[in-house]
Amino acid sequence: MKNRISEVLAKYAGRCDYLEVHIEDTEESRVGFTGSRLSELGRRVDFGGNVRALYKGGWGFASFNSLDRIDEFAGHAVDQARLVGHGTSQLASVEPLVADVALDVINDPRDVSLADKVAMMRAYNEQVLAFHDEIITSSLLYFDRYRRFWFGSSEGAMVYQERVDIGGRVTPVASRGEGSQSYSASFGGSDDFNVARGNEARVDKACRVALGKLDAPKVKAGEYAVVVDPMLGGVFIHEAFGHLSEGDNVYENKNLRDVMVLGRRFGKPFLNVHDTGLDKGCRGYLVYDDEGVPTEKTDLIREGKLVGRLHSRETAGKMGERPTGSARLIDYRHPPVPRMRNTVIESGDSTFDEMIADIDLGIYAISASGGQTNGEMFTFTAADAYMIRNGKLAEQVRDVMLTGNVFTTLDSIDAIGNDLACHDGGGGCGKAGQFPLPVTHGSPHVRIQNVVIGGE
Amino acid sequence: MKKIIEKALAKGVERAEAFLFENIETDVRYEAGSLKSISDTEEMGAALRLVKDGKLGFATTTKLEDVDGLVDNALATAAEGEPITFEFSAEAERPAPSITDDRIASLTVEEMMKHSEDAIARVLDYEKNVNADSATSRQLQRIGVATCRGFEAEFERTAYEFYVGGLLIEGTNMLHTGASYAGTEFGADHAALADSAIRDIERGRVNVDIRPGETTVVLTPRAVADIFLTLNLGVNGLYVDERISPLAGKLGETILDERITIRDDGVRSGAYFSAAFDDEGVPMQETTVFENGALRSYLTDRRTSARLDHPATGNGLKAKRLIMSKELGKTPSPEITNWVMDGGERSCDELISEVGSGVLVDSIMGIIMANLAAGDFSGNLMYALKIENGKTVGRVKDAMISGNVYKLFRDNLVGLSKEVERTGIMGGIGSHWYPHIVLRDVSIAAKG
Repeated sequence: MKNRISEVLAKYAGRCDYLEVHIEDTEESRVGFTGSRLSELGRRVDFGGNVRALYKGGWGFASFNSLDRIDEFAGHAVDQARLVGHGTSQLASVEPLVADVALDVINDPRDVSLADKVAMMRAYNEQVLAFHDEIITSSLLYFDRYRRFWFGSSEGAMVYQERVDIGGRVTPVASRGEGSQSYSASFGGSDDFNVARGNEARVDKACRVALGKLDAPKVKAGEYAVVVDPMLGGVFIHEAFGHLSEGDNVYENKNLRDVMVLGRRFGKPFLNVHDTGLDKGCRGYLVYDDEGVPTEKTDLIREGKLVGRLHSRETAGKMGERPTGSARLIDYRHPPVPRMRNTVIESGDSTFDEMIADIDLGIYAISASGGQTNGEMFTFTAADAYMIRNGKLAEQVRDVMLTGNVFTTLDSIDAIGNDLACHDGGGGCGKAGQFPLPVTHGSPHVRIQNVVIGGE
Repeated sequence: MKKIIEKALAKGVERAEAFLFENIETDVRYEAGSLKSISDTEEMGAALRLVKDGKLGFATTTKLEDVDGLVDNALATAAEGEPITFEFSAEAERPAPSITDDRIASLTVEEMMKHSEDAIARVLDYEKNVNADSATSRQLQRIGVATCRGFEAEFERTAYEFYVGGLLIEGTNMLHTGASYAGTEFGADHAALADSAIRDIERGRVNVDIRPGETTVVLTPRAVADIFLTLNLGVNGLYVDERISPLAGKLGETILDERITIRDDGVRSGAYFSAAFDDEGVPMQETTVFENGALRSYLTDRRTSARLDHPATGNGLKAKRLIMSKELGKTPSPEITNWVMDGGERSCDELISEVGSGVLVDSIMGIIMANLAAGDFSGNLMYALKIENGKTVGRVKDAMISGNVYKLFRDNLVGLSKEVERTGIMGGIGSHWYPHIVLRDVSIAAKG
């Protein structure tokens, strides 16, 4: 494969400023249950590649399944780059990487038979369906992917990487006939099949929460002090700040560059945020990114101030900053763009009890059903929530969706817990048509003032 | 396809169904007013469902030369699989909706560039400080299904997608507007889309405060599409079968205001989600879902059709979330195609002017995370305008809308516009033709 890549690079590199080839071979297994039914059981083989060419600042890109015709696609990519390019190519310089990254896993999901994976998920499903009469159905998914990537560039990089991605969720659905409620126990990782095992206690908890929500009233609309748990805190920082720190959202936009200048204050001095690819075992773990740049831990906010952002080689080059090993693609159908890996709010020194003690009326928001941002505003949904009344946890409420503004909400964080925890779910991040990319979040409990919550 | 079926049958399987997908796509993308990239995609893949010892197996591949590997993978899953409860498609009469357009097939990259450049020029002509983006996409696709029961057919479709948008940043105030087209015919009015983005900048440039509470809202077709994600799931055969949908067991009952009639039209000429047959070979059709507020039909795939003893509606699709494409690795499951709703009797302008004060809601962020299956929706008002004395007076920000579709669209409907407009939704499946809809007493949360 490497020879084939080298031949293509040698043949076409002369007609552009930069050329790269990416080839990928993925094998995936999926097991899903819906109610009592094994609703999804499949094996997927996905082989393909892409060629990306840069000429005078313009990109040409071609993706394909047929390796036999790679020369033709490389020619297309170069022709298109030449059609696009009328400026200057600015890629931050990196040492061309020559490396092989073999799989380094604790328990390889490929060593576990499909029958055992089905049995594992069936056992979770039976646990859910037997839990209570009002658990009327369920939705479960397990997947594992074994992926091989080859990457070569006209600068002399040649990288082979093997990666494993494992994820899933167990979702009980409770109902009394009118409107259902659910809650998920999810898991994920990049080096150990056993993250999928041993989740029975969490599955029981998911059943209890889903049943509890049947009796919980809808939250009342308003502005509240909110304490988020580590899982929701992670989604919060991902949506409320992480996307804003991605270089491609900023580099072509002068006004936003002025706003996102390094040193700008986003939060109070005890707020520290980083994004890292170095946490082995996380779904956001990387050795090299998809441009062959070594991954790293990138500080984004130090003592409340913006200190860094996530870059591809192009966004770093155009902004005069250094690449951070954050260029990722979801698969060969897409070019790499700056993405998050494991985004973390670092620990503070408050305890949970201290955080809720002086809240007269607030909300304790737990776990997330998801989050979204449009660059300025963000929303995320708590999968479970409780009122805080007079400094104490009170009744369960449901349908808690929070919203905020990326430029102001971080400054409303007035307490950070001492209990940092990272979480890997079975979902992923979506951006520019590339979904779901494996990412991780981490956070301690965090208190945010004046959060707008939708409701009736 | 036939070769895949034959290979599978030769390995002793009882039944087999093959699916073939081929997509040749060109995408032209402009960022910050200038051409950024041109991409070509050429993808092809096959999926195989088979039945061995009465149990269902499934595998997919993009290595089309390795049919043996595909069959072996499907056989390996069948060994652990679920007993099959439905039949694969047999040969049947099929519709032939218009889903190819020579104007798309013959489109050159230069023409695509010109469409984007003209639209961007129009936006910049209005305001040079706008960060104008545009994307143009052309797809030529071939989709085929074959089964052991003699079904063997394929069809071609062309698709054209166009987007133009503007981001205006003043301080930390960001105003994002945009308009898009997606269809199997070359039906985009590029200038009108640019004008729509411009009009939204114009009307939303000033921010105004809003008092939280219950108010009258005018939903644009785009906002209706966001909120009707609830109904999309409510009539989904899978959600009905699992009793997650509040509409389970309610065929024939009046669910919504009697002015609401909605069809799922899988054979609508030129529409993005129209086709001759679905991804299981069931003929596509026009299905009346709600008629004068009454629930007339669910949307099914072959399995839920058999389970619910409900007619097959041709909605078994391998739809991909977040982008309008096929997800090869997914088994077909009920998904909407093109939703078309009847309009009312008043013009849009009349409706808005009759609303003394309220909020015009155009797009809602985060709605996908609400408990949609229960009919509950909630989200941030991504683009909304305050209405005073029947006129829009500025943009409402940092606010949320919430409600339950089965309550609001039964009890709180004030009126529908006679204009019915095509719209798409971010992250959603399906094309949509909806009127503007006015609802009273809708909860809006905001600061203050």
